[in-house]
Amino acid sequence: MAAAKLSVLSAALVGAAGGLLLLSLAFPWWGMDFIAPQYPEGLEIIVYPNRLEGDIDIINGLNHYIGMKPFSEESFPELGYLSYIVIAMAIAAFIVALTRSKSGLYVLIAVFLIGGALGIYDIHRWLVDFGTNLNDSAPIDIEPFVPPIFGENRIANFTTFSYFATGAYIVGVAFVCLLVPLWKERKK
Amino acid sequence: MKKKVISALSGLAVGVLASTVFFGNFSTPDTVSNASAKTDAEKVYVPFGEKDEYYLFASGGHSGQMFIYGVPSMRRIRTVPVFSPDSATGYGWDAHSKKMLGGYTWGDLHHPAFSETNGEYDGKYMFATDVANSRAAVMDLKTFTVKDIIEVPNTSGPHCAAFVTENTEYLFLPTRFSVPLGHQYASLDEYSEKYRGVMSAVTFNEKAQKLHIAYQVALPPWSYDLSDAGKKISKDWAVLTTYNTEEATTNLEINASQEDRDFIVLFNWKELENMVKEGKYDNVGGQKMIFPEKHKGGIYLVPVAKSPHGVDVTPDGKYFIASGKLAPLLTVFSFEKAFQAIEKKEFAGERNGIPILKYESVMEREVNPENALGPLHTQFDDKGMAYTTMFISSEVVKWNPETGEVLDRVPVQYSPGHAVAAEGDTVSPDGKYLVSLNKLAKDSYLSVGPSHPESMQLIDISGEKMKVIQSSPVDPEPHYGQMIKADKIKTVEVYPKDENHPNAVYNQKDARIVRKGNEVHVYGIAMRSKFIFDANAKRPDVIEVNEGDKVVVHLTNLDFDEDITHGFAINQYNLNMEIQPGQTNTIEFTADKPGTYPLYCTNFCSALHQEMTGYLLVKPKQ
Repeated sequence: MAAAKLSVLSAALVGAAGGLLLLSLAFPWWGMDFIAPQYPEGLEIIVYPNRLEGDIDIINGLNHYIGMKPFSEESFPELGYLSYIVIAMAIAAFIVALTRSKSGLYVLIAVFLIGGALGIYDIHRWLVDFGTNLNDSAPIDIEPFVPPIFGENRIANFTTFSYFATGAYIVGVAFVCLLVPLWKERKK
Repeated sequence: MKKKVISALSGLAVGVLASTVFFGNFSTPDTVSNASAKTDAEKVYVPFGEKDEYYLFASGGHSGQMFIYGVPSMRRIRTVPVFSPDSATGYGWDAHSKKMLGGYTWGDLHHPAFSETNGEYDGKYMFATDVANSRAAVMDLKTFTVKDIIEVPNTSGPHCAAFVTENTEYLFLPTRFSVPLGHQYASLDEYSEKYRGVMSAVTFNEKAQKLHIAYQVALPPWSYDLSDAGKKISKDWAVLTTYNTEEATTNLEINASQEDRDFIVLFNWKELENMVKEGKYDNVGGQKMIFPEKHKGGIYLVPVAKSPHGVDVTPDGKYFIASGKLAPLLTVFSFEKAFQAIEKKEFAGERNGIPILKYESVMEREVNPENALGPLHTQFDDKGMAYTTMFISSEVVKWNPETGEVLDRVPVQYSPGHAVAAEGDTVSPDGKYLVSLNKLAKDSYLSVGPSHPESMQLIDISGEKMKVIQSSPVDPEPHYGQMIKADKIKTVEVYPKDENHPNAVYNQKDARIVRKGNEVHVYGIAMRSKFIFDANAKRPDVIEVNEGDKVVVHLTNLDFDEDITHGFAINQYNLNMEIQPGQTNTIEFTADKPGTYPLYCTNFCSALHQEMTGYLLVKPKQ
């Protein structure tokens, strides 16, 4: 069924999506900034697909006052395998691009959607875990809270800003690169 | 109605006219000619969020400390202890600083000097000497902490030091007091024979951060005062002033002021270095000592007006300027003329085997500002102009070393000893600012009774005329200072992790107490807001020892966060130390008092700082 093949342009876009996925690994995907009167320059957590950066020790040191568990790269097993999943997705995209398989593209988009949803759910799950499982004996007693995945929140003297970072936007562009062929190849 | 309006308006007009006549300012405003010029207040105001342009390091004299100021605000930023203990920082209590201070409880820090590269301040280290206990120290400017202190043997009061050569090859420490070699007992009747004014050549090993005495020179038994290293054409040379060449042994005020001339010692340190390499020295108590009468060469005497203080090399390295501190006039000496005289061996005799050059053959010109008295110390600006403090006539005189022309004079309050200009003793002074370091404040500030602060006055030297623009009190007592462009100093705010540090604990779970016989070693941590000495103990913040145990407490500050300093003090054990962010610091003591002693964080660290406590429990001997 030759008609089921993707056009060259569509295949190129799917290939580009694979390349963008690989590129995204070099950039942070998500982050949170903490601003307080004593920290006008801010503290930050920067999440790469495979590691954490930023002022993790300082934030942990401060968080113990509200009874939050300390976190580190070891706290998040995802950081150990997420980059492999992304690489696998990229390889799959390259295969789809080479074979120009339409059905492959559908599967890819489906996996992408499920993966994205799981990813966002995963971040939310951790935010709930860290924000609500607070140690009762902490010096500062605060209501359990769930920081938003995206946007502003206030905890004690800190205002936090959660945001998607460069890597996430690159992944977003990669997804668009998959959607465009879907649109172009639609039955006229 | 109309009438009412008119009368109201005319009333208003008369009012405006009257107020203009009475209160209006019809004089031409001073600022019209230079509308962009700042007032004195604006020149020194540094608003929050902005930083000063220069660091001023003012020596702390007999406080034994170094005072760090910002210029132009003249705000005191910090006091860095050097030769004296300082309980605020635990300096003298923690193991490293206690060992460095060597049991001395005070010092007299006179003349500080920055490390130099190619004759420019490189912003890496600060050297200082202690007149009181004959020591030299080096401060690391990454942390503003002292790294090494050495005691200099055979010498007593390295007053004029430290002065460094163009690439910090050496810092030379000449001595204020002559003493017999090895500080042996010798009658003052034998002063001329047995006493010596030893100068030490000290090297600094940057990697090991250690000072080392390379060699010493047994100069005649005179007093040695200020000094300066040569620059550019004179870079291998150095000059220092002497007084009491009369070799008086009592009532120096009178007896050391008899001769009309004392000397400037002019020496070639490269030659002295070669003499040491060639073995032309004697071993004196482990030191390589050059005796000028035995090992000739490299050292010369230049006559100068009696009892000189400062001797300063011009930025181009061509001249050195000196003057008697009771004299009215300044002498500009020429290095080139001195080199020629040395080459031609034009000597007028010798003292202690050291050839004396003729005053006339080295003198370039004499400068005599009318009624100026007591020239002490000279600094330079970016145009090569000289600024000399006049102690007795209480002023700063600006003059041109090339022509001798006096350009400006400004009174200061009162009696300036030294002055320090922005990078004013380097090969390229910045101009802009001069700080007059005045010995007397008298009525300058709110009274605090008979004991007065000293006074530092900031002088704007950017224009043709000098202008005093700020006055700042300072604790006793700055002698010389150093002023460096702020961006040359690169500090660290947090000590980086050092995984090879044997006493560091970077994971609070690793905190532990180890007993070795009657020694107790604590490997603990401090963090907001707790101590953990033993992570597995029922009470992790308790140290329990037996009476008589030697206790060594290593603490690592796990707050790798700017300005989160912790202290560690034990009540009634007279102990306190500071642990900077990321730092591991150690304190040692013998638990010789049985009982219960609370311990606590002394440096306010957090909202629960008051809770950052624990106990030292010392079990009495059975």
